[in-house]
Amino acid sequence: MKNTAVKKIAGTLAIPVLFAAVLLILCAAGGKSMIGNRISLNYFVLYAAVVMITTMALSINLNSGRFDFSLGAMAVLASVLSSKLTYAVLGGGTGSALAMLALNIVFGALLGLFSGALYVTLRIPPIITSLGVTLILEGVTFSVTGGKYVMDEVRNASMTAFAGNWYWPLLIIVAVLALMVYLFDHTRFGYNYKALMSGQNVSVNTGIREVPNAVVCYVICGALMGIVGFLNVARSSNINGGSLNFGSISIMFTAFLPMFIGGYIGRFSNDKLGYLMAAICMSMLNSTFAAFSNEVSASTQSIINAVLLVLFLIYLNNEGLLKKILSPRK
Amino acid sequence: MEKTKSENPDVRKYKLRQTLIDILPLAALAVLFAAFCGIVAGKGYRLDMYLNIIFNEGVVLAVVATGAIFIYSLGSFDISLGASTLFSATLGVMAYNATGSLPVMLLVIFGVAVGCSLLSSVLASVFHIPVFVTTVAMMSVLSAIASQIISVNGGALGGISIPAEVVAPFEPPVVKIVFLAVFCAACFFIFDFTKVGRRQKFLGGNPVCAKLTGISLNKYAIIAFVIAGVGVGLGAFLTLVYTPSVTASTAGSIGMNILVAIVFGGMPISGGPRSRIYSALIGGFSYILLNNILKLIIDSNTGYGISQIVSAVFFLAVVYVTGLNYRTRNLPR
Amino acid sequence: MKKTLTVIVVLALMLTVLAGCGGSKGQKGVDTPIKIGVLVADVSGEEALGFRAYYENYIAKNYNVTFTYTEQLADAAAEKSAIEKFAAQGYDAILSFSSSDRATQLDTCAKNKLYYAVASGMLDDAQYEQYKQNEYFVGQIGPSMVGEYEAGLAMGEYYAKAGVKTVGIYGAFIPNPMHVYRAAGLIVGLGLTYGGASDMDAVVGQIFGDQGVDVSKIAGGVQVVGYLQGFGDTTFDELFAIVGQTPDAFLSVGMATTFFADALNGAGIQYADIDSFTSGNATNMSEGKLTYLAGKYSSSVGPIFAAVVNAVNGNLIRDDEGNALSLNQSYMVATDSDTFNEIFNGDKGDSPIYNKEVLDTVIGKDVTYSDFAALVASH
Repeated sequence: MKNTAVKKIAGTLAIPVLFAAVLLILCAAGGKSMIGNRISLNYFVLYAAVVMITTMALSINLNSGRFDFSLGAMAVLASVLSSKLTYAVLGGGTGSALAMLALNIVFGALLGLFSGALYVTLRIPPIITSLGVTLILEGVTFSVTGGKYVMDEVRNASMTAFAGNWYWPLLIIVAVLALMVYLFDHTRFGYNYKALMSGQNVSVNTGIREVPNAVVCYVICGALMGIVGFLNVARSSNINGGSLNFGSISIMFTAFLPMFIGGYIGRFSNDKLGYLMAAICMSMLNSTFAAFSNEVSASTQSIINAVLLVLFLIYLNNEGLLKKILSPRK
Repeated sequence: MEKTKSENPDVRKYKLRQTLIDILPLAALAVLFAAFCGIVAGKGYRLDMYLNIIFNEGVVLAVVATGAIFIYSLGSFDISLGASTLFSATLGVMAYNATGSLPVMLLVIFGVAVGCSLLSSVLASVFHIPVFVTTVAMMSVLSAIASQIISVNGGALGGISIPAEVVAPFEPPVVKIVFLAVFCAACFFIFDFTKVGRRQKFLGGNPVCAKLTGISLNKYAIIAFVIAGVGVGLGAFLTLVYTPSVTASTAGSIGMNILVAIVFGGMPISGGPRSRIYSALIGGFSYILLNNILKLIIDSNTGYGISQIVSAVFFLAVVYVTGLNYRTRNLPR
Repeated sequence: MKKTLTVIVVLALMLTVLAGCGGSKGQKGVDTPIKIGVLVADVSGEEALGFRAYYENYIAKNYNVTFTYTEQLADAAAEKSAIEKFAAQGYDAILSFSSSDRATQLDTCAKNKLYYAVASGMLDDAQYEQYKQNEYFVGQIGPSMVGEYEAGLAMGEYYAKAGVKTVGIYGAFIPNPMHVYRAAGLIVGLGLTYGGASDMDAVVGQIFGDQGVDVSKIAGGVQVVGYLQGFGDTTFDELFAIVGQTPDAFLSVGMATTFFADALNGAGIQYADIDSFTSGNATNMSEGKLTYLAGKYSSSVGPIFAAVVNAVNGNLIRDDEGNALSLNQSYMVATDSDTFNEIFNGDKGDSPIYNKEVLDTVIGKDVTYSDFAALVASH
């Protein structure tokens, strides 16, 4: 019993600890500091929140075989709508950040509902629905903003205070993690989701209603991407309203590596906790890239991220073989 | 007892509907083509020039997407083809500038394109990595390296180029049409009249059954990626023929537009026996025509957003209708 | 059979395309309005929007001219295609704010008998030499690469003179050539050397090669505590790594007011940028920590429009050797709110610096190259 618990804890923490050790050694060798001051810490936590929630949003549908290109477009459009509405009512005054966060979640959920409803109504493969939805949402964003950056609406003391305190994003991480664990591990919806994920035909035959389950998944994804949109606005103080022709999909690609790492860690504990651990790894990597920005160009960072993804997947998909090769012969 | 289509079929009605669905993409292309001609002529613009423009906008997409059909028919997915096109064109330009030789440039373009494709498929086959994720990684790596090469060598011009005269002989539309026709005909032949195509459709439709009959997924995946690589090479060359320069954003939209084109042309994204080699050609040109029609009709800055919305709705409508006969009880995945 | 039929129909459509090529272009009447196609690569930036507002809201109201803007042009193929569409629609000229491939743009315009003018940036020297006598090349009026270098140089010199000891630098979107030249000027202006060099060509060449500014190659009296470029996931971590060292100034060669104004105002670090004279920047200067702004004003694109009008009406402006217009336009600089507001308010809406009265002095059959040179030099 005790051994199992130790194994679980060790398995959950092994990769983050390994990441931290390697990156801290690299920073020390290069005379750099991964998190040098309070501001770096704020952005470290903020980025970890962005990665964790994006990864959760991506994995909810992807684990069920539903590929969704529209996640980035949802985040951007939810932010554009909520920032404009918040600014119209509060004029950038007290409570703007909180109001924007709440509206981002609402608009995100509504966009998710739109996407999910379209999918279950048209009954065409989700990847294709998501192509159409991405183009629609990008088009709406462009029409609302005229293709311009949204800046005045998101630059106020309230947003600065949010971005300047690490405990706000940490609070969001904790709340989202708790809610996701509850929803997917302790409710009927979650049980049905898992059943449908592992056996669609059998589940439907046993009476599980797939359509409402899928729609709720899309709504949750949308709400999560609404939060991501808000966090991204807090990080950058602007929203680019000019992305057309799939310009918004890159946000999804950053979540692949943490999704696989998180899934692996999840074997030892819980996949949602795994996504948090993976997001911390990604944020550490991001902070290290920032510390070495003069030595490691953006192109090189892309290459490193891609190589890490491939190497991890090679390990993940050949684990059995590797263990067989590496284990001592009897 | 609940009645289902298969239990209670109206065969003639079903077949008629299937025929209509099969010709819908082609009909959509014809309608879009007619509408486009009508709008251009109605506005008093020069139709001859516009047709030339449409052809140039669509030919690279059609070529690369036609090659990609072989990958998609397996039920696989490659998002790195745009980046491969950029990378091949970049190294092709570098090769020409180093040697001054057109054959060397062509050799490099096609070699690099096929090489990149092979690398994706080998990584996926040998190491058992999901193909899509491999191609996501390839996309990042290829575009990052190409950007680095372009910015180091492009200097104040911001891009690298070859003299326009080098590719001028290939610029007339008739030459490009010949390239397109030959490539499409070769793909058509391989896909519909050889065992390669048949087995690929089989693998896409039912991989377990195909494997049990002794068909090697790895072998046919590698063949598919090599053919797609040839398409990428031809696409990269035709890109240089149109504009003899390469910047970091060259061919940037091709990767996603391939997906749209193939689906628009009536092919299921899951591949299998309903895969059609001409889907890319029809879908590619339909999508280009549709976008241009909307830009001609909706004429304002915010109109670009609106035209994208209309284009997406049209796209979903066509896909919905073409899939009408293939509805399953469960939600599709 | 169905498949074969499909292929035949598609090929027939392609052949129709081919057969369609070869019609004739109608002659344009002299009394019809001038139609100008505008190529743009940036549809979101403050500067681009300012230029657009000037053309569409002021020039179009005061002259018989139609401006049609393209969507955001991503690459050379999109530029070429846009020009061909303008030609097919019977346009008279192209004004280009897009620079993926200027040579192809010019070749395409010449092939389609469209006048072509560079409205932002300039051709590089070799390209200008190649095209300066092309009968469809109207010319270029704007900051040359040397002008960009000088804008950075002036900024660097200003802060060196102010006695700053530590700075952070934002290289914007290096290797964008414009930003490379500005960054090179900035480094030299601060009294620093880069890889031991302090002349423009050597520093520029090294920055292109390095893909950015390598801080370890900088030497001199002012310490560069940090450098960042581009905009991505690590940008704010990099920025705050610099902010944490409280440099005397944060110097940017572009876009800092879009991305970092809020953060820098909040951190209380003075900053400089090469951007544009906008209301947002007026606030950044009066209430925030923006202490230096070099920028173009919206109507600075007025003279090149005048040159296009002349060309369309048969007076293609040429110098004594028959070369196309090539005039350097300097940036305007504000280091305090009064100067900023004077420039900003002097170039607004219905009262731009290059208003109709001023532009009319260089529109006409007898206008010469020297008239343009004098006008541009005086503003």
